[in-house]
Amino acid sequence: MLALEKRFIDKLKTYLIFAGPTTLAFLTVIILPFLFGIYLTFTNWDGIAKAYDFVGFSNYVTVFRDDAFWRSFLLTVKYVAYTVVIVNTLGFILAYILTGDQVPGQNLLRTGFFVPNLIGGIILGLVWRFIFSNILVFIGRQLNISFLSYSWLTNPDKVLWTLVIVSVWQYSGYMMIIFIAGLVNIPKDLIEAARIDGANGFQRLRMLILPLMVPSFIVTVFLTIQRGFMVYDVNLALTQGGPFKTSELISMHVYEKAFLAQQYGVGQSQAFFLFLLVAAISVTQVYFSKKLEVEA
Amino acid sequence: MKRTGLGLCLLVLVLVLASFSPAVLAQDVHITILNSKGEIQTQLEEIAAYYSSITDGVTVEVIAAPVGQSPFERAVALYASGNAPAILMLDAGDVLLFQDRALALNDEKWVKDAIPNSLDMATAEDGRILAFPVTVEGYGFIYNKAVLNEAVGGEFDPATINTRDALKELFDTIENSGNNAIVIGPEDWSLGAHFFALAYSGQSPDLAEVNAFLEGLKNGTVKLADNAVANGLLDTFDLMKEYNYDRLDPLASTYDRGTQLIGEGEVGVWFQGNWAWPGIADFDTTGGQFGFLPVPISNDPTDLGNTQIPVGVTKYFILDGEQNSPAQQQAAKDFLNWLVYDPEGQRRFVQDASIIPAFSNITIAPNDPLSASIMEYIQEGKTMNFILNLPPDHWANVGASMQKYLSNFIDRAAFFAEVEAYWQGVGK
Repeated sequence: MLALEKRFIDKLKTYLIFAGPTTLAFLTVIILPFLFGIYLTFTNWDGIAKAYDFVGFSNYVTVFRDDAFWRSFLLTVKYVAYTVVIVNTLGFILAYILTGDQVPGQNLLRTGFFVPNLIGGIILGLVWRFIFSNILVFIGRQLNISFLSYSWLTNPDKVLWTLVIVSVWQYSGYMMIIFIAGLVNIPKDLIEAARIDGANGFQRLRMLILPLMVPSFIVTVFLTIQRGFMVYDVNLALTQGGPFKTSELISMHVYEKAFLAQQYGVGQSQAFFLFLLVAAISVTQVYFSKKLEVEA
Repeated sequence: MKRTGLGLCLLVLVLVLASFSPAVLAQDVHITILNSKGEIQTQLEEIAAYYSSITDGVTVEVIAAPVGQSPFERAVALYASGNAPAILMLDAGDVLLFQDRALALNDEKWVKDAIPNSLDMATAEDGRILAFPVTVEGYGFIYNKAVLNEAVGGEFDPATINTRDALKELFDTIENSGNNAIVIGPEDWSLGAHFFALAYSGQSPDLAEVNAFLEGLKNGTVKLADNAVANGLLDTFDLMKEYNYDRLDPLASTYDRGTQLIGEGEVGVWFQGNWAWPGIADFDTTGGQFGFLPVPISNDPTDLGNTQIPVGVTKYFILDGEQNSPAQQQAAKDFLNWLVYDPEGQRRFVQDASIIPAFSNITIAPNDPLSASIMEYIQEGKTMNFILNLPPDHWANVGASMQKYLSNFIDRAAFFAEVEAYWQGVGK
């Protein structure tokens, strides 16, 4: 008994020495604010007042009745669907080409595709805003291309695509790096064997490489889904939710509810609801795609 | 080995704790001002530096609320981090939200010198005066006098524009002279908080009646479609749309483009307020002669709004009474008194920063033509209420609906329906 206790204390000591500071930081900056945030969803706090009332679940009722929230949520789902598909497809194609033997300047190209990911979302948004509203419009008017003659940023039907284009440009290179790491790790002898067995390039890709790449896809799909739902900076700098709120993605909507409309409780409820949804989607995705993994 | 590990941990812990303890030993008083008028950031910094240089042991620092972030939001973040500035510049409508934390200023000397009604938005229900009125602002159609002189072939008289028909005639005259009449800025804050707010303030010169009208919108008894002022205002907006320089792609226009077009005399008229001066001044190539025209809402010159422009105190300073030491609070009070009563403080505040002061003892006036034009309207009594107690998300929502109407995405009936739906959802 005593020995057991001593072992526990020893373990605790080791734990505290190695992980104590991290645990403390995690508790204070993630867990406590998270719990406090949930607590605030049951109040009508405006963000600054010292006194506030408990309102039970009425903030959640407000969220479920808020048309603007659901419109924004559906828009975000659409945005996530487009970006996940395009970013991963493009990222994989780039990685596949750049790990082949016949491409010159591979390292330079890899760096080139990765660089957009190093630029902050706000700057990226401003740069692309200039491209969409000035450069493309100028080209469109000079060459009489009707779909470019008016800024896409002011067209409620096209504005979502500007966000998708910028996100694809931003993340494809990053996902490409993850795919390259996966592709490089596929044992050469397997590919050799497939080649000797007479599998052509397409068959090797479909029957061998893609199944072995599932672990990479789990990571990239997870990252793109999670980033897609959380995107705020590009949304803010590129479209500001406009024209007339038709490109207001969910993070921006939550933020405006909490800080602009000064309904902190409602905004926090939306954020918590969003957390549950994104967590559920991500966990489901990882769980099901794990089943697709194969052993080499 | 283990020993060193523990020792290191302790050292880190001590360092972390040390950084949390306040540096109370300093004897100098350091105060911070949160500025939410981005266009005067440099001027305020210069004022702060000068004030620091003439006082013994007091240093003043100015921090800016970033563009695109509301002052409320920035102030909330600073409070939450336990780092509230001594002086915070807030929008008029947000002042009373801070009543638990702001100092009562009833005993300050400037209270009795503040112009009538300027403290209304700063007075809590219990009678405490919580804020210092920073600036009076107004808005309307900014005109470039050089362009209009050229159009009318002589000296343009702003008093001639007192009906919608007169405005239309002016637009035609400008276009006939080879210039463009007007550019509409598509910003939601401009269209929502300023332009459509004219439909509220135009209801009555009496603020109580305006509030009753807004109350009617909230409970659904007011129908905008039956309201003459709202319809008249949109008729004027239709006219503006017809002559809009950017009518091909109205939402692609920007605020900066507006300052450039009006400054360079590319257009004659732009809807904005006197805060636009620093931007216009950067582009001005036409001799610096600008002024305001009212936004006419009908063809009867005696109707409210046809000869008046909205004017009000838009920004207030509150003093933090919670996270600053008594010495800092006193320094903040002294600084405000210096702005109002010291000749050098007055000059720097009013003329360098182009502020129209809200104090009757200050006799100097700002040098810029837009503020001078506002002062003229004030002196002639041709002002109406600048509605500043709208709900905080009003500008974003009504602004979005105005943008839809501007780009012909919805018609007037749908626009009114959206605005009414917004108001009926307020506070729910």
